[in-house]
Amino acid sequence: MTRLTAHINLRLIGRAILWAALLTGVFMTVFPFFWSLLMATHDRTTMFSSGLNLSLGDQLIANYARLLDTMDFWVGMLNSFSVSIIGTIASLLFCSMCGYALAVYQFRGRNVLFGMMICSMMLPPILTLIPYYMVIDAIGLTNTHLAVWLPFSINPFGIFLIRQYVVASVPRDLLEAAKLDGASAFRTYWSVVLPLLRPGLATLAIVQFVFLWNNFLQPLVVLTSSEKMVITQMLRSVQGIPNTPWGALMLGTFISILPLVGIYMAASRQMISGLTSGAVKN
Amino acid sequence: MSTNLETPVSAPANSAAERDNAPADRWRTLWHKSTPYWFMSPYILIFGIFGIFPVFFMIFLSFHTWNPVAGLGSMEFVGLENYALSLTDPTLWQTLKNTILMALYSGVPQHLVALPMAYLLVQLGKRARHWLTTAYFLPYVTSTIAVSMIFFVMFSKESGIINQALTGLANGTLTGWAFGWINDLMPIGWVQENSLIRYSVSFVVFWKYVGFNIVIYTTGLATISDDLYEAAIMDGANAVQRFFYIALPLLRPFIFFGVTLTIIGNMNLFDEPYVLTRGLQQASTNGMTISNYLYRVAWEWLDMGGAAAISWILFVVIGAFTGFYFWFFGRRGLGGD
Amino acid sequence: MTLKKTLGFTLATAGLMSSALAADIRFDGFPDYDSQLEAILGGFDQHDVDMLMNEHGGHHDKLKTNLATGSGAGDVVLIDRGFVGSFINQGGFVDLTEEYAPYKDGFADYAVAQGTSADGRQYAVPVDLGPGVVYYRRDYMEDMGYDLDDVMTSWDSYIDYGRELKKHDVLLMGNAMALATAYWNFNVESGNGLYFDANGEPLVTGPRFQRAFELAKTVREEGMDANIAEWTEEWYAGFREGRFATQMSGAWLLGHLKNWMAPDTAGNWGVSNLPDNTYGTWGGSFLAIPKQSDNPEAAWDLIEYMISEDMQLAGFQNIAAFPAHTDTYDDPMFGESIDFLRGQKARLLFADIAENVEPVEPHEGDQIAESLVTTALEQVLNDGVDIDTALANAERQIKRRVR
Repeated sequence: MTRLTAHINLRLIGRAILWAALLTGVFMTVFPFFWSLLMATHDRTTMFSSGLNLSLGDQLIANYARLLDTMDFWVGMLNSFSVSIIGTIASLLFCSMCGYALAVYQFRGRNVLFGMMICSMMLPPILTLIPYYMVIDAIGLTNTHLAVWLPFSINPFGIFLIRQYVVASVPRDLLEAAKLDGASAFRTYWSVVLPLLRPGLATLAIVQFVFLWNNFLQPLVVLTSSEKMVITQMLRSVQGIPNTPWGALMLGTFISILPLVGIYMAASRQMISGLTSGAVKN
Repeated sequence: MSTNLETPVSAPANSAAERDNAPADRWRTLWHKSTPYWFMSPYILIFGIFGIFPVFFMIFLSFHTWNPVAGLGSMEFVGLENYALSLTDPTLWQTLKNTILMALYSGVPQHLVALPMAYLLVQLGKRARHWLTTAYFLPYVTSTIAVSMIFFVMFSKESGIINQALTGLANGTLTGWAFGWINDLMPIGWVQENSLIRYSVSFVVFWKYVGFNIVIYTTGLATISDDLYEAAIMDGANAVQRFFYIALPLLRPFIFFGVTLTIIGNMNLFDEPYVLTRGLQQASTNGMTISNYLYRVAWEWLDMGGAAAISWILFVVIGAFTGFYFWFFGRRGLGGD
Repeated sequence: MTLKKTLGFTLATAGLMSSALAADIRFDGFPDYDSQLEAILGGFDQHDVDMLMNEHGGHHDKLKTNLATGSGAGDVVLIDRGFVGSFINQGGFVDLTEEYAPYKDGFADYAVAQGTSADGRQYAVPVDLGPGVVYYRRDYMEDMGYDLDDVMTSWDSYIDYGRELKKHDVLLMGNAMALATAYWNFNVESGNGLYFDANGEPLVTGPRFQRAFELAKTVREEGMDANIAEWTEEWYAGFREGRFATQMSGAWLLGHLKNWMAPDTAGNWGVSNLPDNTYGTWGGSFLAIPKQSDNPEAAWDLIEYMISEDMQLAGFQNIAAFPAHTDTYDDPMFGESIDFLRGQKARLLFADIAENVEPVEPHEGDQIAESLVTTALEQVLNDGVDIDTALANAERQIKRRVR
């Protein structure tokens, strides 16, 4: 009897420790996020008035007004949206096609292509900026959104991820069965493989969306008119030591992160849809 | 490769048909043979347009001196001088060392934490899992401005939360006897001291990307069939055993993917050290990564040729690490037979 | 004959007219020049001006990309003092020597020289300056019974004052690096450049750098500075809490101190020349026209407008950009006393400095030398590396890198 209670106590203590650890982690990851919301309610003088200011300021409305005053905030948001959504959809399509081919087919040049892909991840973007701009300029894509998403729609990261996902989750028998049923290669990919890839695609969607949304270097050199600019550009363009409207900037930054959180929450349901909660518990 | 469809399953039927009406079927075979290339065509096309030129440009550049501000016409051929200069540059080796150390300090814990964490998270109830993963993913999307500001406040010598907590520990009635020695070290300059900067940077990198890896591993865990776990439970395996004997081996393609990404990403580390060393103004001897140095040479010193040479040296180093890694773990990690 | 003459005249006027036709031009810059342009463009109706603003670093990186590829730059670009030296000798900008000639004498000599290339042509035109001063806490000086003149007599007397402050638990400055930088930047021997002599040989192991490093090292070792990086939260807090008795910086720091860094310390501050009556500058900006501009004439019209006396004064009022146009210094505005500085007429001091700073010949390798010497200084101050070793090391690397 006592041994049993001891056992239960131990389990309880174990659970408590586990949850304490999990929640400490949550605190550490969420804190900066909420802190930037707090900062969005201050102006520059009160923001820097003490080491770690955790009070709620009264400048939220004023900051919002200032934000709209200093930049076409919602135009930037809309541009970021269109770039990120179109770019993400394109890369879901392209990366899944390529990743699928690399995982399933044996063809001449496969290893070369795969190697090239991995290698191209290793080139530092800060140095390829000039040739990138030369290409964009040469084919007349300056000041277009296309220039900002198209080159990244074949993200090697995404292709690699999908390749690994296909290897892990698409049973070979299924593909052969589809073939025996007379399904064409594209039909197999579209109606058999893609649905199975849903969690992998959701992960890719998040990563690609976040990347496109936060990307700064390429928009900086390519997008030059204010009606084309993306939000990262706008938020960065008002920064500088002199008179940065910090409160407005923090508010803008906070709002600009919200879509990312939203996308994550939507996609994360898809991501773990493969898990049926019943089977794995305990 | 476990799945190889290039030799069609229905090969005999096809070859029989081939004898009957050859031209149409030759087309079909060609079509079949070209299928993978059709799938690869977006990559080939887009990489061909946007990717090839920069690569050749950088190779070309590395054999020239070029001040970008003077325009394209001002390149001068110097042969291997850029490489000779870079390979004998002590700063390059110092920054390479910094990069590797910070890659290790931040990379290894990322995976050691993310793997069990992801496993743990999928066992929790649906709702808890959803909210917790969202929370852990937040650092990955939180803006660099907010992150750098908050970490500066936390790392601050006099008023920083970390130093205050340590001082509290050192002077507390209960903890004083064990931590009293901390007082001698105060105030600790987490981002000012060359001896500490690598750990501070690594911590921020770890903090930022651990959630990302949790997401990758959660995705991976979703591919593991429930039957396997059920069978293991029947056999009396506990949660820890199931982690080591079922989850871990089946996660291999994802671990391989995640680690490859960490190697490449960490070797190209730029933002966090740049921000925490205040644009390379403090503690930069140990805090500057090779990418930071590359930026300095290219964009501050305007020596694009020298920077191109450095980037190819970096490329070879990362390539060597990645190649090594692929060679050791690739067979299993890539899902080969 | 008369007909021909008239025709010629009409043609000439027509030609003139066409260059004066309204054009669309773009101004590329960084904040706060957006505020300045918004305020003054109402009075500029010759052309339509579009603005493209980016933060300081992003703006210059974009500009470098544009110059490299010969496309995408604005018609008028703003260039920070730190970059102007490395930009103007590379041929990417329109030669403004002729256009600027009538105005040149009305501008601070040293700044005009900074915009001049090695072959004596004017490629960039100064638009604002940053006269360098020491901000000091008057109350501390009074409490300790010191007189400003005694403190600023020499660099040593300045450090002696720091020792006295230390006894009262006040720090001389936020970061000793500023002291060393000021010393080597503003004590350049005549005939030499900042880091290189006339023959292009590096000077960094010379006495000027030795002395600068020693000064900073003394301050650091005797605990007279806080070793806090400038422009961080802690640095702002230092001003707010009155931890620092002095700070070397440009005239523009005044606005920041007053508006948000330490508004509560109003009335306690004063400004002075750098020790030993040294004239120095912190920052400043220039205007230039990239060669790739389609409308260089219209671009010059905008520059001409921006450097006119009235607009220079407007810039001072709008964004505290200290005028590069020295004729503006007669404006009554300069004689106003400033409450934050306990009524001091500081602008007269700023103007005096702006007119007296000695021009220094820029060198292509300045940027490289600056970052290598700064790293050396950091090693001396933070890692206890010996001064001679650090400087010799820096010199070796400068020789390698400057080609």
